[in-house]
Amino acid sequence: MLTALPSSRWDKETAAHLLNRATFGATPELVDETHAKGLERAVRDLLTAPETAVEGPAPEWAHPRNLRTIRREARMAKESGDHSKVKAQRQMEGDELLDLRSWWLGRMNESTAPALEKLTLFWHGHFATSAEKVKDGYWMWRQNDTLRRGALGNFNLLTKAISRDPAMMIYLDLQQSRKEHPNENWARELMELFTVGIGNYSEPDVREAARAFTGYRVDPSTQQTRIAFRQIDPGAKNFLGHTGNFTGDQIIDLLTKEPACAVFIGKKICRYFIADEPTPLLVNLVSERLRTHNFEIKPVLAEIFSSAQFYDAAVRRSQIKSPTQFLLHTCKILATDLPTPRVAQNAMRQMGQTLFGPPNVKGWDGGKSWISTATLLFRNNFANYLINGDAMRPDAPRGRGGDLGLRRGGKGTDDPRREPIDVSKIASAELRRNPDVLLQELTRRVFQAGLNDSDTAPFRDFLAHRKGDTSDTTVRGLLHLMMSSPLYQLT
Amino acid sequence: MTPTLQTRRKFLRTSALGAAAAWTLPVFLEKTFCTLNALAADSLTQPVTGKDGTILVVLQLAGGNDGLSTVIPYADDAYHRARPTLALAQDRILKIDSHIGLTPQLPGFKNLYDAGELAIVQGVGYPNPNRSHFRSTEIWQTATDSDRVANEGWIGRYFDNCCRGADPTVGVALADQMPQSFSAKTPTGVTLSRPEQYRWRASSSDDGKPLSDEEAFYRQLIGASEESTPAEGNSIAELPGKTKTGDSAEDFLRRTALDAQLSSEKILAIAKKAKTTVVYPPTPLGASLGLIARMISGGLPTRVYYASQGGFDTHAGQNGAHDRLMTQLNDAVTAFVTDLKAQGNFGRVMLMTFSEFGRRVAENANGGTDHGTAAPMFILGGGVKAGLSGAQPSLSDLDHGDLRFNTDFRSVYATVLEEWLHAPSQVVLGKKFPTLPLV
Repeated sequence: MLTALPSSRWDKETAAHLLNRATFGATPELVDETHAKGLERAVRDLLTAPETAVEGPAPEWAHPRNLRTIRREARMAKESGDHSKVKAQRQMEGDELLDLRSWWLGRMNESTAPALEKLTLFWHGHFATSAEKVKDGYWMWRQNDTLRRGALGNFNLLTKAISRDPAMMIYLDLQQSRKEHPNENWARELMELFTVGIGNYSEPDVREAARAFTGYRVDPSTQQTRIAFRQIDPGAKNFLGHTGNFTGDQIIDLLTKEPACAVFIGKKICRYFIADEPTPLLVNLVSERLRTHNFEIKPVLAEIFSSAQFYDAAVRRSQIKSPTQFLLHTCKILATDLPTPRVAQNAMRQMGQTLFGPPNVKGWDGGKSWISTATLLFRNNFANYLINGDAMRPDAPRGRGGDLGLRRGGKGTDDPRREPIDVSKIASAELRRNPDVLLQELTRRVFQAGLNDSDTAPFRDFLAHRKGDTSDTTVRGLLHLMMSSPLYQLT
Repeated sequence: MTPTLQTRRKFLRTSALGAAAAWTLPVFLEKTFCTLNALAADSLTQPVTGKDGTILVVLQLAGGNDGLSTVIPYADDAYHRARPTLALAQDRILKIDSHIGLTPQLPGFKNLYDAGELAIVQGVGYPNPNRSHFRSTEIWQTATDSDRVANEGWIGRYFDNCCRGADPTVGVALADQMPQSFSAKTPTGVTLSRPEQYRWRASSSDDGKPLSDEEAFYRQLIGASEESTPAEGNSIAELPGKTKTGDSAEDFLRRTALDAQLSSEKILAIAKKAKTTVVYPPTPLGASLGLIARMISGGLPTRVYYASQGGFDTHAGQNGAHDRLMTQLNDAVTAFVTDLKAQGNFGRVMLMTFSEFGRRVAENANGGTDHGTAAPMFILGGGVKAGLSGAQPSLSDLDHGDLRFNTDFRSVYATVLEEWLHAPSQVVLGKKFPTLPLV
């Protein structure tokens, strides 16, 4: 079973590990604060989301509109040869998504409940839905809001909420499902990807479940969901060995009672929070806790974050940072602002994690799939950009070459120039008087742990080569060198 | 120490990495890590060399190319009836036979056809077609049934199964973002839009100049420098700290960092060095194919290149727009072929076009066409069996206004895999598809 971490092992490195996994990353200041709380309170605080952190302000454009009218007018204008309305509509979709991505990244960065945001990202990857198909910012925002409200709650209820979520209904064609032609897309993915996993249901189960989810509708004139009663198939269904006039909700109840569901969700939780390739034993432990807590997520996470298994030496610094983690943690370490929405969107795309745009309904694979030679080089160069700002680009011909493609899609001058980081925020004048102390403190800041001598040798040698110089230029170079280390990709 | 690392280590030490000149050594071009590697004993693993292996160039026509305006069934009255404003007069068509011909913007393709270097596969599609760009592109990229979702792409599965341990440049995609077809369990292949982008860049000093000394320490950091030898314990081979299985994330990251540095130097050196007298059109596709030709000429050990041309979603005003796209395609491909012939490499290169779908048979009210289904594919190269393959779908027996496909695109993939890349297609595609007489 999951065993509690002995209080003797609660130190700054374990506190940093908790922050790195449960949130978007630790800084020395946060580590000190979290360590001082003690394990129990630290975990409790992380998993307690104040009302304001759940509510929070929505983007100002995120409210229902009459999409039916808007789209009809654009279509009619287009048919009469006027493409401006279609263009304007597309532009608006693009602008809203850009804003929505930036809104969420900002929220992850600043939330008083960062663990809630990290968990919301987990559910976004789990109930993966892409704006590529949904094509509406409000619907994407609304799903994000639904995921956040349900993130720490009960998995069964969250799944039911998602079955009524307009973005998901559009993404998996549920809103087209009629009594005469039940659409199997949602029913199949509900089982294959959202609850029990492949091999735990049959093709007839897919067809029967599809019948239970008929009549779910999205009304574009209000952007709300409704039930089309005449489209519901009220008849008896044979599903997973049970027979009854099941509704969609009852199908979800039957699925979450399947032993395979706890294993499937348990494994996903393990992969997201503990290990890219969790052992079957660990998966069993976590799925057992899920069953015991009747799929309440918060108590399960509290037990994980308090367990010796979670803080095991083999678990720490063994997970490859997701692009979101990489971006947010790097900015935290550097005590600098997030890049502009345009730059962030382009960077996230190049690193392979476009928020509100997972590659498909399977979500992001994570782990090693984040890293190719191209994405690794990009991460190194993007860290350079975050440290040095637009000053990193002067050796390139204007607008090409060394430009990392970060301005793509912008109108050229609409993005303010990024300045280099303020080094004094992370390395005081006193620290910089002694290169050895500087190295030690920056290593702790960047890696949240001491590294062994061979790992720090290139950093030490770099400082030695600079003959005791600890100017801003040198410190920024040192930070970039550290962030170019393969070890920096781990958390 | 795994054989891969040992070999690389040895290679790094013997070839004086750091001097860019090292990358012009012919020995490197002939031998790659893959061939030196013990993994090559694996029967599926393919040795890759830059000099004599066959090469596939995949060219995506993004947005849904109108097949009926590309390979035109000009003799069919139904074509003229369905396309009152788009249909071309017979005398303008570059005739292939008494029934079909190429659009007049593709004279280079016509020449290739006449020279026996172009195959046209007609009526390519898949069962239960999806008309969403997003989804149909995904189906083509992953080569799955249309009701199944997969994360790995078909080329990625080829890398996973047949190119394990290969140099990362075994696949090169010229794109901002890796095409899904490259997506693999073990990410392999390089994605770049410009060679200058694909390199590690040093931090900068206050005057904006890159720190000249940082790079040396970066090399030390990733184990690519002469200074760090295995005996000193900070090499990639003997990883410090926790016990490592060769599969740990840390090992994987160290290997990938080294791969990135090696392939980056190679690509930059080749891009700088290789010269051509052929003039490419000043279009994005021209630039992409020009770069691919330089990489082929430079001997990059690549099996699959990937390029794309966008703008094919011609819902309105298609006449001018599609003509321009076809001209761009024609000019870029013609320059590419001329270049490869001059290099003497045309015989080992195959270029294959694809698009996520064709367009509806009937034109719409805006002088354009909407999302459809089956469409032709072009396969060209010195080793291609030229001619028509498959049959032109009927224009009167339609499926809700759309053409019925007669050749599954995975048959084309299977042919390319089996006959051109000499790879087991069933392993890559998940099932057996009949091959076509294209090679």
